Amino acid sequence: MTADHPHAHAEGPNYLWAALLPLTAFLALVWGINQHALPWHLTLDWAPSLGLAATFRVDGLAAQMLALITGIGALVFIYASGYLAHEPRSGRLFGMLLLFMLAMIGAVTADNLILLFLFWELTSLTSFLLVGWKHEDAQARAAARQALLITLGGGLALLGGLILLAQIAGVWTLSGIVAAGPSLHADPRLSAALVLIMLGAFTKSAQFPFHFWLPNAMSAPTPVSAYLHSATLVKLGVYLLARLDPAFNDLPLWEFSLVGIGTLTAVWAAVLALRERDLKRILAFTTLSALGTLVLLVGLPSPGAGLAVAAFMFAHAMYKAPLFMVAGNIDHATGTRNIDRLMGLRRLMPWTAAVAVLAGLSMAGLPMSFGFVAKDVIASAKAESEVLALISYATVLVNATAVAVAGVAAVRVFWGPPEAPPGHVHEVPWSMRLPPLLLVLVALEFEFLPNLADPLLVAAAQSISPGLGAMQAATTYSFEGTLTALEITLGIGLLLFLAWDRLHALLHRVHWLDRFGPAAGYEYLLHAIPRLAAWQTRHLQTGRLSHYLRQTLAALLLMGAGLAVLSSATPRFDWPALLAWPPIAWAWALACLLILTGAVSALFLRQRIAVLMASGLIGYGSAVLFLFTGAPDLAFTQFAVETVLVVIAASVLPYLPAAKALPRPGKSLDYILAVAAGVATFMLLLHLAGMPENTELAAWFAAHSLPEAHGRNVVNVIIVDFRAFDTLGEIAVLAFSLLAALPLLAGLRRQRAMSSGS
Amino acid sequence: MKSGSVLLERAAPLLYWAMLIIALAILLRGHNEPGGGFIGGLVAVAASALLAIILDPAAALRRQPLAPLRLAMAGVGLTLLSGLPAVFLGLPYLTHLWSGGWSTVLLFDLGVFCAVWGTLTGYLYPLLEADPR
Repeated sequence: MTADHPHAHAEGPNYLWAALLPLTAFLALVWGINQHALPWHLTLDWAPSLGLAATFRVDGLAAQMLALITGIGALVFIYASGYLAHEPRSGRLFGMLLLFMLAMIGAVTADNLILLFLFWELTSLTSFLLVGWKHEDAQARAAARQALLITLGGGLALLGGLILLAQIAGVWTLSGIVAAGPSLHADPRLSAALVLIMLGAFTKSAQFPFHFWLPNAMSAPTPVSAYLHSATLVKLGVYLLARLDPAFNDLPLWEFSLVGIGTLTAVWAAVLALRERDLKRILAFTTLSALGTLVLLVGLPSPGAGLAVAAFMFAHAMYKAPLFMVAGNIDHATGTRNIDRLMGLRRLMPWTAAVAVLAGLSMAGLPMSFGFVAKDVIASAKAESEVLALISYATVLVNATAVAVAGVAAVRVFWGPPEAPPGHVHEVPWSMRLPPLLLVLVALEFEFLPNLADPLLVAAAQSISPGLGAMQAATTYSFEGTLTALEITLGIGLLLFLAWDRLHALLHRVHWLDRFGPAAGYEYLLHAIPRLAAWQTRHLQTGRLSHYLRQTLAALLLMGAGLAVLSSATPRFDWPALLAWPPIAWAWALACLLILTGAVSALFLRQRIAVLMASGLIGYGSAVLFLFTGAPDLAFTQFAVETVLVVIAASVLPYLPAAKALPRPGKSLDYILAVAAGVATFMLLLHLAGMPENTELAAWFAAHSLPEAHGRNVVNVIIVDFRAFDTLGEIAVLAFSLLAALPLLAGLRRQRAMSSGS
Repeated sequence: MKSGSVLLERAAPLLYWAMLIIALAILLRGHNEPGGGFIGGLVAVAASALLAIILDPAAALRRQPLAPLRLAMAGVGLTLLSGLPAVFLGLPYLTHLWSGGWSTVLLFDLGVFCAVWGTLTGYLYPLLEADPR
């Protein structure tokens, strides 16, 4: 490294060794596929009492995803060790990348729906952390939040959809649902379940109108963009759709949604790509376009579509990840990604230029590239399913844009007029040259030796389209027709490439896209949330306890009245039982005396502390009642709670405004509310006393307390043994409430210190 | 915040220890007689409150085994731990084990006791300390 290297002063730790982890996983996968026939199963006990088992299943599609996750993962880790060599915080990034990789592996191997959801959300979370890695940059923070809100929102929909689907099918595994397949179609809830699942998949795979988070996520470091936002994470939505496709592909709702949204996304992204000047964002828009094409292909009903999905998913990862690395190399070397300022880098960065050309060939779908094979399979799949002519035209436009973008990334940047780029430009270190080069070479090899890739692709295709035979898959490689279509696409692509600047200038002036697009809608909603919060805080959270009390009582009364009207239950008063003389009359009389004294004196006392103690008397009164009616435990607790409550409330009292005396109740509304609440509670109690009591549970606890839990105090046995898990949750909430309150309490102390200091 | 009464200030620590012993007794007898970790914890809070009001919160804090937040978290940790031995024996989590008069239930209840004691004193001390009067 030369002394004039721009970053030479700060050498961070080298995490090249971290690449060994994905590499080992990749080699294990290759070894496993050679040794054991797919699919593999693994079942672990999770919560047997709930009938829940952690099931994992690896079939062809999962194996293909695993190969991408671990194989490209290894190369991305090597690349990142070079890209972040001068970054002191790079350890954190590697840790998050590893966590993301594990989450991805879990998501594509999970067969249990809950497990799938957990890993799915974990990928969203790690993506959030990785996009926002440069957290001192406001733009990166906004992009991370956007990606998180959209994918987690979709994740919520997905959870609902998965639960609904499991209830319809009666099984909690993906393989079980796919096996149940057509038998589910009659259920009226299926449409809702599928719409929810599609929402989850569309947000994850950035389909229209949720597409905008993906280009914005480009503020992540390049290794992250190459790994998450082109090769793996964004394919997860497509993966889930492809996984479920065998069960639902003959439903019109499924087919039309996937084909419609996929086509719309592909075309819209192709148009938007022309508005960008940033090389990375241009690539991101073509990724969107590719994702749209994948969703469209999943939606096509023909068996060949499965092969097309498998081949294109593979080809796209193999050319898009290297192209992102090319963009990263250029950024690293020149400090800019703006294509206006990047020309003639060929001589300065020959290795990167070679990678760009090879990946560009594949992206454009030219012969001698894996992209060509993929394009060919796609064309046959579409011919088979007789798609609408409109969709065929749309794909021509999408492919032509891909050709033009490939031209920009591979030709324009490197072969343009030899203008001197700004600053001191140098070729990047080997760790950033080798990974993309390896990827494009492997892809090239697959083109010349399709036998290497075929078994994996066919196995993956058969998991998507079970009707596809091995022979049929092999014959689908027919190069007829592809060449003429290719010529048309190339022609239009060339025109787009040549007219790029003019088209850009034209589209850039279309400002309504910025004002009314889905991204603008997101911003509007995002700003509407604090506005709504401010509005309701102004009107409901007045900070006056009397207002809160009024609102609470009014709301409770309204709800009670509403319930009474809706249930149309006539109140049942068991008058003989209610009017019967109680067994220990003097205890009832004492309790009533205490409660009445407390209530009446609370009405007339004017000192806050006196009112507080009077209300404590009411609690003591009910404790007396518990004591003599067979609940000494409850009485004990009630005495203790009442005492501590009065002590703590008394220590809060001085903070209330006008600490000395209570304001006189003036409004008649308050009287009406108070009387209504009292009467309603009284009626409710009378009604409850007349209800038949269900003593089954109480009898069970009483019978099992001593023999099974060795305790005679049934209440305590319930708390610490029968319902121990509930208690654990309750005390955890209690303890964590203190954690939340401590900053507020510290604020009080600061206030005190300031007022006493001044 | 001193009460100004010598008698009270002298008696407060004695009362505190007496109440704490009662609190522990309530905790221990809770499995068969009225009582338990929750009520015991509340009595302990009352004891601490007595000290904090008559002397000052720092004096109450000194006589507590751990500072409030730590005490509360230690309580939650104890209850969490009390369920683990069963897992090692292949039983579901939080299945309580007995050997003679001793059991993991006691550990669980002690956790509840500490969580209540720690949390409520954690609220109380700062309020008393920052008293605006």
